[in-house]
Amino acid sequence: MSSGTIFSDGVDEAAPPGRLARYFAIDGKRRYMLFVLPALAVMFAVIIFPWLFTFFMSVHDWRIGQTKTFVGLQNYAHLLHDERFVNAVIRTLVYTVLATVAPLVLGVLSALVFHRKFPLRGLLRGIFIMPMMATPVAVALVWTMMFHPQLGVLNYLLSLVGIPPSLWVFDQATVIPSLVLVETWQWTPLVMLIVLGGLASLPSEPYESALIDGATPWQMFRRITFPLVLPFIMVATIIRTIDAVKAFDTIFVITLGGPGTASETINLYLYTQAFAFYQIGYASAMVVVFMVVIMALCLLLLYLRQRAQWA
Amino acid sequence: MSAISVEGVSKLWGEARAVDHVSFAAPSGALLVLLGPSGCGKSTTLRLVAGLETADEGRIVVAGRDVTGLPPAARGIAMVFQSYALFPHLTVTENILFGLRVRKVAAAERRGRLARTAELLGLGALLQRKPSQLSGGQQQRVALARAIIAEAPLCLMDEPLSNLDAQLRHEMRREIRTLQQKLGMTMIYVTHDQSEAMSMADQVILLRDGRIEQDAPPAELYARPETVFAARFIGTPPMNLVRLADGPGGAVIAGSMGPALLAARGNGLLLGVRPEEIALIDRPALHCLAVPAVVAAIEYLGADSTVSCAVGSETITVRAPGHVTLSVGAAVTLGLPPGALHLFDAATGRRRDELTGAIVATARLASTITN
Amino acid sequence: MMSSAATGPVGHAGLRGLLGRVAFFFSVVVIVSPAILVFLWMLSLAFKNEIDNIAYPPIFIPNPPTLANFVSVFANSPFALYTLNSIIVTGSATLLALLVGVPAGYGIAKARAYKLGVLVLLARLTPGLSFLIPLYILFQVLGLTGTLVPMVITHLVITVPIVAWIMIGFFETLPADIEEAALIDGCTLWQAFRRIALPLSRPGIVVAAILSFIFSWNNFIFGVVLAGRETRTLPVAVYNVLTFEQLSWGPLAAAALVVMLPVLILTIVIQREIVSGLAAGGIK
Repeated sequence: MSSGTIFSDGVDEAAPPGRLARYFAIDGKRRYMLFVLPALAVMFAVIIFPWLFTFFMSVHDWRIGQTKTFVGLQNYAHLLHDERFVNAVIRTLVYTVLATVAPLVLGVLSALVFHRKFPLRGLLRGIFIMPMMATPVAVALVWTMMFHPQLGVLNYLLSLVGIPPSLWVFDQATVIPSLVLVETWQWTPLVMLIVLGGLASLPSEPYESALIDGATPWQMFRRITFPLVLPFIMVATIIRTIDAVKAFDTIFVITLGGPGTASETINLYLYTQAFAFYQIGYASAMVVVFMVVIMALCLLLLYLRQRAQWA
Repeated sequence: MSAISVEGVSKLWGEARAVDHVSFAAPSGALLVLLGPSGCGKSTTLRLVAGLETADEGRIVVAGRDVTGLPPAARGIAMVFQSYALFPHLTVTENILFGLRVRKVAAAERRGRLARTAELLGLGALLQRKPSQLSGGQQQRVALARAIIAEAPLCLMDEPLSNLDAQLRHEMRREIRTLQQKLGMTMIYVTHDQSEAMSMADQVILLRDGRIEQDAPPAELYARPETVFAARFIGTPPMNLVRLADGPGGAVIAGSMGPALLAARGNGLLLGVRPEEIALIDRPALHCLAVPAVVAAIEYLGADSTVSCAVGSETITVRAPGHVTLSVGAAVTLGLPPGALHLFDAATGRRRDELTGAIVATARLASTITN
Repeated sequence: MMSSAATGPVGHAGLRGLLGRVAFFFSVVVIVSPAILVFLWMLSLAFKNEIDNIAYPPIFIPNPPTLANFVSVFANSPFALYTLNSIIVTGSATLLALLVGVPAGYGIAKARAYKLGVLVLLARLTPGLSFLIPLYILFQVLGLTGTLVPMVITHLVITVPIVAWIMIGFFETLPADIEEAALIDGCTLWQAFRRIALPLSRPGIVVAAILSFIFSWNNFIFGVVLAGRETRTLPVAVYNVLTFEQLSWGPLAAAALVVMLPVLILTIVIQREIVSGLAAGGIK
C-alpha cells in the first residue's frame, strides 16, 4: 500500500513548533486576518483617512482655492455663537424626534398586522417595503409634486374630506411636519421588518398559557408581546434615530433647507458651508461637532436599551 | 516503530485543562479507541492529533514524523466526522476524490482508487448523487470512503456512529472493524459507548477529566479495571461496588453479619464483583463464597433477569439467566467466586492488588458455614 | 384583534369573528395603501400628457396613456449616458465590494473578530458629507475629476460595509466541520475558502450583491458633489430635471420612474431574503 506518498512534503523530522508557528497556528484566529486585510485597506483609505483629514481641516481657516491658516479651535468657538448653526441643531433634534417616533409607532402596528397569516401576505409585504428601497431622490420629487398647493393631489384629497388646503412645504410652520411625513412613508417599512423579525422569534407557549388563563388580546400584547419585542424596538429606534439625524436627500431635494432656513438641519447647513460657501475649514469643524452629536445620541440610546433590558 | 505516538500532550482553555499530559502509542494496523463520558477530553485529543487544535504542551508523532507544528494537511491523516461533514455542493464521487484532487494525484491513479473504494463500500450506484439524496447510513459510508481513499498512515474517527439508529450502528460497527483489519489501517476511534469500544478495539484508552484512567486491551480492561471509575464504566449492567466494614474474622459487607470475605480490615475498602459473575445458589458450593441476601427487586429482560439484592446496607445486582422464580423479599444466597472479586480503595478509587491474597479461600469458609 | 401576536389564520367563528376579520382586512388595506398609492400616482403622472398633468381636480387614469414623457426625458438630456454612468459606478462599486468584502466577512466570522465589525458600524454612523469634503479635495489634487473613478471609490463606503455585514452573518451559519474536513483532505486555508465556503455561500453573495447594488444606485449625495455634467449618475440627473423644468410633471415623473425601476424590480426579486436578512442583520 502506498502509504505516505501523498503526504511526504519533504518534511520528515520537523522541529517542534516554534514561537512564530504557534502564533500563526491553524486554529488560531490570526491566520484569518489575511482575508480581512484588503477590506481593511479600503476602509482605511475611504473612512479613516478622510476622518483624519477632517480633523486637520477643522483647525484651519480654509476656503477652497485660497491658502489655509491655522486657527486652532477658533472654528469650534465660532460654531457656538453661530445662530444659524444653533437653530439648525434645534431643528435637527425636532426633526429627529418626529421622524423616529412616527415610523416607530406605525412600524410596530404594521409588524403586528404582518405577523398574522393572510392571503397574499408575501406580495403585500413586498409592496410594503418598496418605499424604503426606492431611490430617495426620485421619491422626494414625486412628493414635491404631490405637495403642490394648487395642483398637488394631496390638497385635492384634503378637499374631498372638507379640510382646507395646506401649504405643506412652502410654509415655515408646516414644512418640518411635511418632511417628516415623507420620511415616515419611506422608512416605516424598515422598522416593520426589524420588529417583525422580533415577533417571528417569539415562543408560542406564553400565549397558550395566557389564553388558558383567560387573558384578553390587549393584555396579552401589553404583558407578553411588548416586553419580549422591546429589544427589537430599541434596535429599530437606534437605527431610525441615526438615519433621521443624518437625513439629507429628502430635505435637500424638496426644500433645500427652505423656505428660508425653516427646514435647515445640521447636514443641510454643512453642505451649504462646504459646497456653497466653500468654507471647508469651518465645515469640517461642523462635521466633527455633528459626529459628536450623533455619537452622543447613539450612546444615550444604547444606555436606554441596557436599562430597558433589565426593566 | 509505532504508527502513532502521543507524548505528554495538553490543551488548556484558559485555566482549565481539557487534556492533561496525555500519552499513548499504538502500533501500525491497530484500532485504538478513545473512550470516556462526555467532557472527558477524547474529542479534543483526537482534534489535537488531527491538527485542528494546537497542543499547548507535548509532542505528536505520526509514522515516525513529528507533526506537532504542522497543519492538518501535512500530517498524513484522514478523518471521519460525527456529522460526516460531506460537501453538500459536490457529488459523491467529487466528495470522495476531493482530497486526491487537492493534492494533485494523477487522474489514472484517482480512477483506480475510486473504483476500489467504491467497491469496498458498495457505493457504485450512488456515485452521481448529492449528499442530500443519501440516507444516514449511505452518507456514513461516503465519509468512510473519503477517508480510506487517501491511504493515509492514520485514520481518525470522531463518534462516526452516533447519528445512526441502533440496528445500523451494530452493522456498521462490524463493517468498520472488518474494513480496518482488511486494509491494515491504523485507526483512532472516539466513542462514549463502551460496548462499541469493547467489540472493536485492539487497545482502549479510557479518559476522564482530560487524563488517562486506563490504557489496556479490552479483555484486560474488563478483567482488571485499575480504578472504580473504569470498573463501573465497562460492562452492562455495571460492576457492583459495595463497601466493606470490619467484622469478626475479617472484612464483611457493610451492614451485614458476615461471612468474612477478606482476612484483613474491611474499613475503607470497596469490593467489586460483576453481576454476571454472581450465581444464585441454594446451597454452599465449593467454588464460591456464599453470602446471604434478600431480594429487593427483579427486572425480567427476556434472555436474562436483573435481580437486585440487599446485603447488609448495600445492594448487589445479579444477572441471572432467563426467568427467575423468586419474589421480592425472598431470602437467597449469592455465590461469589473469589477469582471474580476486585478490591478498591474507597478513598482513592484505585485497585488494591496487594490485598487480593487476603481474599478468603472457599474451603475455609465452607467450614465456617457448616458450623 | 391585531394586538394579539399569535400566528395562525385570522378569526374565529360567528359574528364576532366576522367583525374581527373585516377589521383586520381594513387595517391591512390602510397599512399597504400609502405605499401603493404613491407609486400608482407616479405611474399616473408619468403616463399622462402635459395638459392632463396640470388639470385640477387631478385626473387619475391616463386617457389616453402616452409615452411622450419618456421620450422627452431621453431626448432633452443625455439620460442614456447617465444610465450608463449609474450602471458603471454601481456595478464597479458592487464588484469591488464583493471582491474585498466576501473574504473579509469570512475572515471576521471565522476569527470571531467582531471588533472589526465595529468599523462597519462606524461607516454607517458617519454622515456622507464627512467623507466627501476630504475626498473631493483629494480627487481634485489627483486630477481625477471628470472621470467616474472618484464616484466608484466613494461608493465603496456604502457597498463594502453592506457586503461585509451580510457575509459575516452568512458565514457564521456555515458548519465548521465541513471546512475542517477540507483542511484534513489537504487544503490550505485559502483553498478551503475557495473550494468549500465560497460555493456554499452563493445565496448570501447574491443577497449582498443586490442590496449593495440598490443602496449604491440610490445614492445621491456623493453624486451631487463629485459629478460633473458628463459623469452624473441617475439620481443626480433626475434632480436636475426638476431644477430646469419647473412644472413639467410628466417628464419628471417619467424620469423618477426610470431611476427607480431597476431597484424596485430587484426588491421584488429578493423580497423574501430582505425580510429575513435585514431583520436579522439589523440586530447588532
